[in-house]
Amino acid sequence: MTDSKYFTTTKKGEIFELKAELNSDKKEKKKEAVKKVIASMTVGKDVSALFPDVVNCMQTDNLELKKLVYLYLMNYAKSQPDMAIMAVNTFVKDCEDPNPLIRALAVRTMGCIRVDKITEYLCEPLRKCLKDEDPYVRKTAAVCVAKLHDINAQLVEDQGFLDTLKDLISDSNPMVVANAVAALSEIAESHPNSNLLDLNPQSINKLLTALNECTEWGQIFILDCLANYTPRDDRESQSICERVTPRLSHANSAVVLSAVKVLMKFMEMLPKDLDYYGTLLKKLAPPLVTLLSAEPELQYVALRNINLIVQKRPEILKHEMKVFFVKYNDPIYVKLEKLDIMIRLASQANIAQVLAELKEYATEVDVDFVRKAVRAIGRCAIKVEQSAERCVSTLLDLIQTKVNYVVQEAIVVIKDIFRKYPNKYESVIATLCENLDSLDEPEARAAMIWIVGEYAERIDNADELLESFLEGFHDESTQVQLQLLTAIVKLFLKKPTETQELVQQVLSLATQDSDNPDLRDRGYIYWRLLSTDPVAAKEVVLAEKPLISEETDLIEPTLLDELICHIGTLASVYHKPPSAFVEGSRGVQHKRLPARAGSGESTESPDVGQSVGGADAPPAVIPSQGDLLGDLLNLDLAPPATTVPAVPASMQMGAMDLLGGGLDSLMGDESETHNIHQRMESPSPQSLSEYSHPELGGDIGGSPAIGAGMGAPPAVMPASLNAAVGGGLGDLFDLGGGVGMPTGAFIPPKTLWLPAMKAKGLEISGTFARRSGVLQMDLSLTNKALSVMSDFAIQFNRNSFGLAPAGPLQVLTPLTPNQTIDVALPLSTVGPIMKMEPLTNLQVAVKNNIDVFYFSCQYPISILFVEDGKMDRQVFLATWKDIPNDNEAQFQIKDCHLNSDAATNKLQSSNIFTIAKRTVDGQDMLYQSIKLTNGIWILAELRVQAGSPNYVLSVKCRASEVSQFVYQCYELVLKN
Amino acid sequence: MISQVFILTTSGDHLIYKDFRGEAGVDAIRTFYEAVTALSGDQPPVVMSHKGMHFVHVKQGGLYWAASTKSNPSPFTVIEFLNRLAALTKDYCGSLSEKSVRMNFALIYELLDEMVDYGYIQTTSTDMLKNFIQTETMSSKPFSLFELGNVGLFGAETQQSKVAPSAATSRPLMFTRGDQGGNEIFVDVIERLSVIIGSNGVVMKADIEGEIRVKCYLPGCSEMRIGLNEELSIGKSQLRGYGMAVRMDECSFHQAVKLDEFDAYRILKICPSQGEQTVMQYQLCDDLPCAPPFRLFPTVERDIGNRLLIYLKLRCDLSPKSVALNVSVTLPIPKGSVSLSQELSSPDQSAELQSKNKALQWDIPRFPGGAQLSALFKLEVPGLSSASLQEVGPVSLCFELPKHTCTGLQVRFLRLTPTQPGSSQRWVRYVTHSDSYTIRI
Repeated sequence: MTDSKYFTTTKKGEIFELKAELNSDKKEKKKEAVKKVIASMTVGKDVSALFPDVVNCMQTDNLELKKLVYLYLMNYAKSQPDMAIMAVNTFVKDCEDPNPLIRALAVRTMGCIRVDKITEYLCEPLRKCLKDEDPYVRKTAAVCVAKLHDINAQLVEDQGFLDTLKDLISDSNPMVVANAVAALSEIAESHPNSNLLDLNPQSINKLLTALNECTEWGQIFILDCLANYTPRDDRESQSICERVTPRLSHANSAVVLSAVKVLMKFMEMLPKDLDYYGTLLKKLAPPLVTLLSAEPELQYVALRNINLIVQKRPEILKHEMKVFFVKYNDPIYVKLEKLDIMIRLASQANIAQVLAELKEYATEVDVDFVRKAVRAIGRCAIKVEQSAERCVSTLLDLIQTKVNYVVQEAIVVIKDIFRKYPNKYESVIATLCENLDSLDEPEARAAMIWIVGEYAERIDNADELLESFLEGFHDESTQVQLQLLTAIVKLFLKKPTETQELVQQVLSLATQDSDNPDLRDRGYIYWRLLSTDPVAAKEVVLAEKPLISEETDLIEPTLLDELICHIGTLASVYHKPPSAFVEGSRGVQHKRLPARAGSGESTESPDVGQSVGGADAPPAVIPSQGDLLGDLLNLDLAPPATTVPAVPASMQMGAMDLLGGGLDSLMGDESETHNIHQRMESPSPQSLSEYSHPELGGDIGGSPAIGAGMGAPPAVMPASLNAAVGGGLGDLFDLGGGVGMPTGAFIPPKTLWLPAMKAKGLEISGTFARRSGVLQMDLSLTNKALSVMSDFAIQFNRNSFGLAPAGPLQVLTPLTPNQTIDVALPLSTVGPIMKMEPLTNLQVAVKNNIDVFYFSCQYPISILFVEDGKMDRQVFLATWKDIPNDNEAQFQIKDCHLNSDAATNKLQSSNIFTIAKRTVDGQDMLYQSIKLTNGIWILAELRVQAGSPNYVLSVKCRASEVSQFVYQCYELVLKN
Repeated sequence: MISQVFILTTSGDHLIYKDFRGEAGVDAIRTFYEAVTALSGDQPPVVMSHKGMHFVHVKQGGLYWAASTKSNPSPFTVIEFLNRLAALTKDYCGSLSEKSVRMNFALIYELLDEMVDYGYIQTTSTDMLKNFIQTETMSSKPFSLFELGNVGLFGAETQQSKVAPSAATSRPLMFTRGDQGGNEIFVDVIERLSVIIGSNGVVMKADIEGEIRVKCYLPGCSEMRIGLNEELSIGKSQLRGYGMAVRMDECSFHQAVKLDEFDAYRILKICPSQGEQTVMQYQLCDDLPCAPPFRLFPTVERDIGNRLLIYLKLRCDLSPKSVALNVSVTLPIPKGSVSLSQELSSPDQSAELQSKNKALQWDIPRFPGGAQLSALFKLEVPGLSSASLQEVGPVSLCFELPKHTCTGLQVRFLRLTPTQPGSSQRWVRYVTHSDSYTIRI
């Protein structure tokens, strides 16, 4: 038998020959023929024409032949649905076969045939197989429920398969349990609010028992399922941890990681002073270290996970520094990850060891690795103060090597060290200046220029140095240009007499000869500052800079917590939440760490703040206010964050945008965070800034009113600027797509509801608004397909507040490819009512000439607040007393810097009416009433402590389930 | 959840394609192939993402074993699974190659069907699978004992294989079909050594990762007992026995291993499945029971003109009974080096300048314990500066130590129950490999 037998090229008549062989009487010949057919199928040849002949071979008692035929069926049934019906009889018969292998095979294959007509016939056999005496059949049937659910979810629910599946969790065979858990977990993901997996202490106990008995792969399903459970208290949490811990020594790394995930999550609930907490910490280290002895690919995945774990709980691995030392034969991607973790673990105790290693790495051959090692030395200096001196001298040694890229990296990090420890290491400036000529990378040039400008008074020939850069001003990158501008202005303010000419030269270069709006704007600002009030200019430009923080590239805490819940999954490798890369509903649920036990802390837990309505937006690291302002003064001094390899693009961009962000912050605080946010999320962030800046520049340059404003002392400047340009700005920011400054009630920015992938090219994003008493759904329809779309219509499913379209969807012209249409759909609240979970969930169907698409979205409850929601004082008092105390819910609103009057006004514009105000001990109590469209009244008390950014909100309502949403709406309104 | 599994040749031919969930089309294969061939060396090849599809792959036997997914599964699970799939294919088809996969595609499809259902991994154990598998293996050539000698551990050509037939890499398992294969069982103790020695000769880091592998061809073996050193202690604090204890920090076991006699007598009890499995993995950090096997005494000098003199003295600290094989010393040298002349102490050694990696390599095929070898290298480096001296080093060593374990772990006995009739052959072999052995200058 030769190997080429199955894979010979198609000749004419081959199909014909196969046909003849398939119909042969000899069993062996038939089998060979089916094999040949499958071989052709694998290499991508179309052998669907043989369908009837292959199906004819199905009725055989030869298991091997049957399996082959089934293999063929799975592949082609979809393209030949009518023919597939022919096979149904055999399937049904096989499901009754005395041989369990055949029963399982039939039910498995039927589930894989994704033809609607067949699914009807599947129900009866499946029901029988779910109760089969043989565990092999039962476990196959359990998976089949998940398959069927994917094809026809309604059918599965109607037939009661979900309940049967739930029963299988208590099956005696661990394999069946594992598959039932896997199937239920997957089904539950597409029904985020159903209580399918009904996890309670009893069922958890069953799972833990099954955990010890099932195969390694089953253990993974069960552990992943356990991770979704939230124990009631720390005792339960501890007992689960105790039973999961033995999995840590499993040989299969996937089991280990799933166990680590469960432990990391449940540890959150254990009090830190508990002995067991310490024991658990100790137990986690060895398995993590063991993972590093696997193949490089697994090592990389492990390191990405360890990186998260180290950020969350550095104490676990603090003694294991050595295992992260780089081996010479590690692939580069493993080396870079190890380096990252080494820096995170660096502390006073091990810094000497780490530095010695880093110095070795800095002389290796691989350029990327060497660069990162040099940066790492700088980060150590910033992180561990005691080591700074040694780090600086190490860096100086490296500069002596004159290896070009080493020198440049060293200069970039030394700049950061200067910022962290001002006036300490300036003696090295002379050495740095010697290397001025060898710098050819923008970042290093910018860093050097910053150093020269910052220490202009100590460098005798600072003006000459800067002048030498100025010659090729237009060839420099923007980063260097901006930095040069700032440095020369600094120099001028320090040595005004000698450098007047220089500063004029650079200002005219920046404002007149440059096309770059950022550069031009900055030039103008300096120019006006200098010409109107040099003293103020000095205060602004030479202001004390905020210190840079030690850890610069930490993952934002809420994102980190979410990623910890996804340890061992793709999310932990990408360091992105699953919603960022998984399409559709699956995985979109945001997982959270459970709150630590103990009542005092629970209200303070960061989760509370996080549950703002906008939680769907991918979390982005937003630089704090202080940083932004600091950076405006410093202009472009990117924090050393640029060293992170994982997010270089966005960080780089952040640095580029600093001026943009900074300017915006001058214009108005509210819009600023939004803008940044928008920029991080929007697919083409650059476009926004390009769009807005020319106009901004034009305004600043042109308007005389602003010129006057500039004359004011710098501290007042932002405010006056704001007032002057405020009006025009509204439009400007509207360009950014709904992030405008709110004029009336707050309207959340549009979010993506229906991705184009799921709707044959139709993309829908939208938001809800209440405009002068009229409810509207603002939709943006985008055609991302290649053909024209028309005949749009919309319908809502029944929902909690009876929302329904009050008119047709007005899309008058057909939507051409790549076109976007914005439509406002008026809504009424007289539609059919059904309570949804969550309450504000709305299921929508949109039809066009292609198909009907379904999606669901949530509306802010504030759109339901009616205009006549102001209650009479007396009635308020009576109602407040009347509603039982159990219905009262209390929330904290953090970091809100409005005084009570401003808050009142803001809330009023969203139809939250303040009825009375009382001041007790400097604490303002606002009593407020809200009325919903369906006549439900909500009463609220808002306590505002003067000087404290934290408000306390008490909500009382007969329908207490709305409280949570009212709170979210307060958050949104107050913070926007 | 795994969406698709496919096996490709390096030239992109489809060998196996199995879709489990109907989420994506066949064109995913092409997408994967384009992505994987476009990878540059410094990108982690672990997970690739393209248009909502995520690909995980491993490369074994010159083939890509890939899985695609649309959800958020554990990459560990997928990688482990693919590795097992490759191992099973090897167990069933005898060897891993394009040819063996092509010939046994029906068998592999059958295996896949039993291993994964709707993307959920069901089982990868040969014991379970053999109940379901119907297709017979097609072997490319009849199995012959004579060929075994040529193939070493991990497929590497080694001297070792002259000592005992190696982990019989090219033989399919004969499930249920009698005794053609002979009654053999192989127990391999394999250790990998990572050492960093500082420029002052102090050991900065020394790790051992080890494993015990069993490859079993015994048709009717119900239980095997592997006795390890009785004075084996596990963990930093535990102490057993007197004198030189064998120590390890951490160990983990295959889930089929029964440990009831392990604590008291250090006996592993296992019912071996046919095929190859790793029974125990262990590691030891820092505290080696013996001196690291090699020490280096380097001298780097600037000679007249642009010449660099490098004198290396390498000492093997193994006992005189042991021997190190295939020792290869790699030393990074300054970038501009143009030529190399060397003086080596024996003719079977060789040295060459690898201008691509900027390194010189010195190969010593056989290095007896207790011996000391030296070599003098003269390098011509135009534009030699003091900074280029810094580019010399660190030295890295590759080697293999047959019949030697650095931890001192030994298999005391290997007992099979029921006692095997006839001539069952048991092989116990030890080998230590260098993983990353670095000596700084």
